[in-house]
Amino acid sequence: MKVPISWLREFVDIKADPAEVAQILTLAGHEVEEIFDPYQNLGEIVTVKILEIFKTEDLQEVVVCKVTDGKNTFEVLTTAKEQVRPGLIVALAKPGSLTFDHEKIEVKTVKGYRSEGMFLSPFEAGVSPEKDRLLAFSDEVELGLSIYKILNISEPVLDIAITPNRGDLLSIWGIARELNLITDWELRPPVFPEDLKEGEPFSGKIEIWDSTSCFRYIGRLFKGITVKESPFEIRRRLFLVGQRPINNIVDITNYVLLELGQPLHAFDWAKIAGSHVIIRKAKRGETLLLLDGNWRTLSEEDLVIADKEKALVLAGIMGGEESGVTENTWDVFLESAWFNPKSIRLTGQRHRITTESSYRFERGVDPNGVFLAVLRATDLFVRFAEPKEISQIVDVYPQPYVPNPIELPVKKVSKVIGFDIGEERVEATLKKLGNLVREGDTFKLIPHSFRQDLRIPEDLIEELARLYGYDQIPSKMPFGELTSRAPQREFVLKDKIKEILTGLGFYEVITYSFINPEYLSKLSLAPEDRRLIPLKLSNPISSSLSVLRTSLVPGLLEVAKFNSHREVEDLKIFEIGKVFFPQSELAEEREALGLMLKGHHLEGAPWEGKRRQFDLYDLKGFIEALFSLLRLSVEIKPFSREPFLKKGLSFDLYVGETRIGYAGEIKRLILEELDLKGPILIAELDLELVSQAKSQQLEDIAIKKPPKFPSTFRDITFIISKVVTYAEIKAYIDSLEIPFLERVELFALYEGEPIPPGEKSLSLRFWYRGEERTLTDEEVEELHRRVAKELFEKFGARPR
Amino acid sequence: MAVASIKEIKQKALEELKAISDLSQLSEYRVKYLGKKGVITLALKALKDLPPEERRILGAELNELKDFLEERLDSLKRELLLAEEDRLTDFDITLPGRRPEIGTLHPLTKTIREICDIFLRLGFEIVSGPEVESDYYNFTALNIPEWHPARDMQATFYLENGALLRTHTSPIQIRTMLQRTPPIRIIAPGKVYRCDADVRHSPMFHQIEGLMVDSDVSFADLKGILTYFAKETFGERTKVRFRPSYFPFTEPSLEMDISCVICDGEGCRVCSNTGWIEILGAGMVHPEVFRAVNYDTEKWQGFAFGLGVERITMLKYGIDDIRLFYDNHLYFLDSFKTL
Ligand SMILES: [Zn+2]
Repeated sequence: MKVPISWLREFVDIKADPAEVAQILTLAGHEVEEIFDPYQNLGEIVTVKILEIFKTEDLQEVVVCKVTDGKNTFEVLTTAKEQVRPGLIVALAKPGSLTFDHEKIEVKTVKGYRSEGMFLSPFEAGVSPEKDRLLAFSDEVELGLSIYKILNISEPVLDIAITPNRGDLLSIWGIARELNLITDWELRPPVFPEDLKEGEPFSGKIEIWDSTSCFRYIGRLFKGITVKESPFEIRRRLFLVGQRPINNIVDITNYVLLELGQPLHAFDWAKIAGSHVIIRKAKRGETLLLLDGNWRTLSEEDLVIADKEKALVLAGIMGGEESGVTENTWDVFLESAWFNPKSIRLTGQRHRITTESSYRFERGVDPNGVFLAVLRATDLFVRFAEPKEISQIVDVYPQPYVPNPIELPVKKVSKVIGFDIGEERVEATLKKLGNLVREGDTFKLIPHSFRQDLRIPEDLIEELARLYGYDQIPSKMPFGELTSRAPQREFVLKDKIKEILTGLGFYEVITYSFINPEYLSKLSLAPEDRRLIPLKLSNPISSSLSVLRTSLVPGLLEVAKFNSHREVEDLKIFEIGKVFFPQSELAEEREALGLMLKGHHLEGAPWEGKRRQFDLYDLKGFIEALFSLLRLSVEIKPFSREPFLKKGLSFDLYVGETRIGYAGEIKRLILEELDLKGPILIAELDLELVSQAKSQQLEDIAIKKPPKFPSTFRDITFIISKVVTYAEIKAYIDSLEIPFLERVELFALYEGEPIPPGEKSLSLRFWYRGEERTLTDEEVEELHRRVAKELFEKFGARPR
Repeated sequence: MAVASIKEIKQKALEELKAISDLSQLSEYRVKYLGKKGVITLALKALKDLPPEERRILGAELNELKDFLEERLDSLKRELLLAEEDRLTDFDITLPGRRPEIGTLHPLTKTIREICDIFLRLGFEIVSGPEVESDYYNFTALNIPEWHPARDMQATFYLENGALLRTHTSPIQIRTMLQRTPPIRIIAPGKVYRCDADVRHSPMFHQIEGLMVDSDVSFADLKGILTYFAKETFGERTKVRFRPSYFPFTEPSLEMDISCVICDGEGCRVCSNTGWIEILGAGMVHPEVFRAVNYDTEKWQGFAFGLGVERITMLKYGIDDIRLFYDNHLYFLDSFKTL
C-alpha cells in the first residue's frame, strides 16, 4: 500500500517527519518497507543550458539544440523552436528517464540527427498543469542538478505492508484513522455538502438476486458527462502511487478507491440493456470478455453484474470490455457495493485474477464506507466531468450490517498479556475502537464498522497490547509443570548416525525432496518397482523438480554432478531425509540414509601423496563401522538385486530376516547417461527398519578380561580356488569348533604370478590360548595340523 | 713414579674433563684415562714397584681420582645422551599431520541442533510430523479456511492426489495437541515447502515450530522465551524488538526483530538501514485453533512460534544466497568445519 505523506496529511494532522511516521506504523504492526520519492525515481531530469541552436533544411518542425549540464554537452531536438534561445536554462530528461505521464526517454535519431533526451514542459515534469511551454529556470540555477531539487519538490511515499486482516488500512483515509488511533493526532474526516445526496429520479432498476454474495449495492446515474483527461491534481496523485491515468471517469473511481478504500465501478449506461442492473450468480458456461482482454467462462459460483440479457462485469473483480466507459460514453452509471469477501476471494482464485478492487473486497470493506464513496465520487464528477443531470442515490441494502458486540472480561486482559496495563487504560483504548459499554466486570464493545477484523475478545486484547506497545510489556519466563519425555528413538538414531558419519569423514548434504522423474527412469528399475511411481506435484516449479523422491540416489547424484562441474571430483557424502510413496491418505514417508563415495581419498598425510580410488571395500568398511558404533549387528549378503548396481560389486544389508538396504557401485552406463564420471559407490538404508531392528535386538555383550596366560599363533598360507569366498572359509572354521582357538585373522591375500589363474593365496593366522594354563608347543602343533588338514580337504586347497 | 707426576695427571685429567662436549670425546677420554692402557690404569699398575708406605698414599689418591672420574663420566654421559635427544631432527613439525578424514554436518543441521538445544534446556521436547499434509492440518485447523486471504502468504505446492506439501511446521501443533493433553512444551524442526525460488526463497526450506500450552502461559512469557532464545543464538549483546503482526492461528500475534548482526544496529543493506532484522513470527494460540483440537479455551492458554532455519543460518554466517544450502558444494560445506 503506497501512501504519499502529502495526501495523508489531508486527513490527519501529522506531527512527525516521514521516517518517524514509518517507525510509528511499523511498531504498530504495519511494516513500512520503504520510503521513496516517485520524482526521484523518474531518473535523471536535470537543468541544462542551451548553448547553440541549429536550424536545418531537412527538419522543418524541429531545431537542434546544443546544451550543457555543466560538464558535458549534448544535442537535443525540440519542437518548441519559438521558445528556445541560447542561454536559456531548461529541464532535460536524459535517456533512461521517465516523464510524469510515463513516457520512456530514449536516444532518438531523426533523419540522422540524434536527440540525447527531451526538454520537458512543466506538465511532463509533473510540476504543474502547463503543457504548452518549456519548463525554464532563472539564470542563477546550477546546471546538471535534479530539477526537483531546484524546485524543492519532494514527495515522500510510504510503502506499507498491510496484513491480510486489516482491509480497513488499504486506503489513505484508513491509514489516517489508524495514525489517529495510535498517536491521537487530529483527524480531518472527509465532509461533503448535503446537496450532493440529492438528485433526479433514477430511470433504471437495480436488483440483488443473490444477497448472500452481495450485501449492499449503491448505484447512481450521471447523465451527459464529458469524458476527457483528468485534471493535473488527480493525475499527480495517481502518479505518486504508481498508477497510470486513463480518463477522468476511470481515474476518479481509482482515486476514490485509493483515498477511501472503497472500490467503485463505472458503466456506460447505454450498454446496460433495459436499464436493468442485476446482481446475480453467473449461469454455467456463461462467457464474459473482461477488461484484461481475456474471455472467461464463468461458473455458477461466480457473481456477476448483469443486465437483462447478459453478464457485464465479474462483480468486485474486473469490469467487462463491452460495458466500460469510453470516449463515446455519454451517461455513466456508478456502482459502489459491498460484496461477500469469501465469494470474491473464491472467484478471484478460480480465475486467477487479483485486482486492486478484489484485493480490498476480499479483505473486507467498510459497510458504511460504501455510501461515503458515492458522495466522494459525485463530488469529483461534478468538478471534473461536468454531468448535466445526476440521479438519486439508489441504495439496495437488503440486510443492513449489524455488528456483534464483543464481550471482554476485565480479568482476561492481564491473564493473556501476563501483565496488568491498568483498567483505565483498557477502557480508554477500547473506547477508541467503537461503542463501549461496561457491564460489571465485562466490557461490551461494538467496533467501528470498518474494523471487520475485530470479532473476538482476543482481537481486543491484541489491540490493547499493540496500542500499549509490545515493547512496553515486560518479559518473563514461563512457570509450569515439566512435561517433556525422553527423546524419540528416531531422533536419537538420526543424530547418532550423523555424529558417526561425520566422524568417519563424511559430509552431510541436504537435497530437495522433489526430483526430476527422469532420474528414476534412468535407474533401469523393474516396471513393478514402486520407486517408479512417485507422488507428483500438480504445480511444480519446473519439470526437474516435479515428483517427490522415492530414493535418495537421484539427489546424491545431482550433488555429484554439481560438484564435478565445479572442480570437485572427490566426494564422501551422506544424506538423511524422507522418501515418499503413495498411500491411501497423504503419503507414506520413510526416513532414509544415503551414502556416496566418489573419486579418491587420501591415505596418510597429504604430502605423502598416497591417494587411492574409493572401492567397494571402503564403502563396506564404513557401513561395518557405522553398524558397529550403532551396536547393531547387520548381515551383508552378496549380491544386491538393485538393477543400477554392478551385480558383482554389490550387496544387500539385512538385520535378521529384514532387508534394510543395499550398497554397491553404480553401473557405468547409467552414469554416462547422467553425464557423470565414475566410479560412484552408493548405499541406501531404510532408517525406520534400522530403528525397529535396534529396538528389537537385545544387546548381547561378551565381556573380555585381560588374559592370564600367554597366547601363541600359527600361520597357514594356502592356494585355493577364487570361487571360494572368505565368508565360506570363515564359516567352516567356526563350524569346526576348534578348542583353544581364540581368533583367526586374514593377514594376506594374493592373486597373480606365480599363483595359477583362477586361484588365490590366503594367509591365515590362528591365535590359540588356554584359559587355565599355558599351552604346550606340542598340543598347539597338533591342533593346528588338524585345522590345516580339514581346511585343505574341505576346499581342495594346498599349502603354498 | 713421583707424587709430582700424579698431581700432574690429576690436574690434566680434570682440565680435559671440562673440555668434553660430546659422547665421542667422552669415550676417547674414558679410554685415555680409564681404559686398559689408560693413564690412570697404568699409573695404578706402576704403584706395585713402590715402597709400601708410598704405595698406600699414592694408591689411595689415584683410586680416589679414578672413582671421581668414573662417577663424573657416568653422569656426564647421561647428560650428553639427554642433550643429544633434544637435537633437532629432520622432522618438519609444520607439515600437516596424518589426519584421519573428518566430515561435517550441514550448516542447517548445525543451526537446528543449536536451536533445539536451547529449547531442550527450557524443558521443551522435540516432535515431528508429516511433510505431506492435508489441507485441513495445514490450513483449516489453523484458522485459515479456503477463502482466507492469508493463503496468499504461503504459495502452496499441491500433489496430484489432493494432498499438499506443508507450507509451515504449524500443522505439527495441531497433530500434537490432538494426541496429548496439556501441559505441552514442544519444538518441531522440519522441512517445509513453498512455491517460489530466488536468491532469498527456496522451494524447500526448514522451520522450527514451538508450542507451549499451560494454564496461564502469557504473552509476557512468550516475550521472555523468545528473548532468551535470541540472546543464546546471536549473543548476549543482541537487542530484541517486538512488533504486532498477523497470523490467522495466533492472537495477539507478533514478529520479533533482532538488532542487525551485520551492522550492530547502525543500519546497512541487510537490514534495509533500519538496524533491525526480522527473525520470527509468534503469538498466543488462537481460540479457533484450540477449538479445532477440543481444548477448553477457558482452561488453557498457550503460545506458538515459528522461525526460519535458513534465515537464521544466513544471518549467523553472513550467507547471502539461500541456494548455497541446497547446491551442497563441498567448498561451502567445508567452511563449516572450523566453526
Ligand atoms: Zn544492518
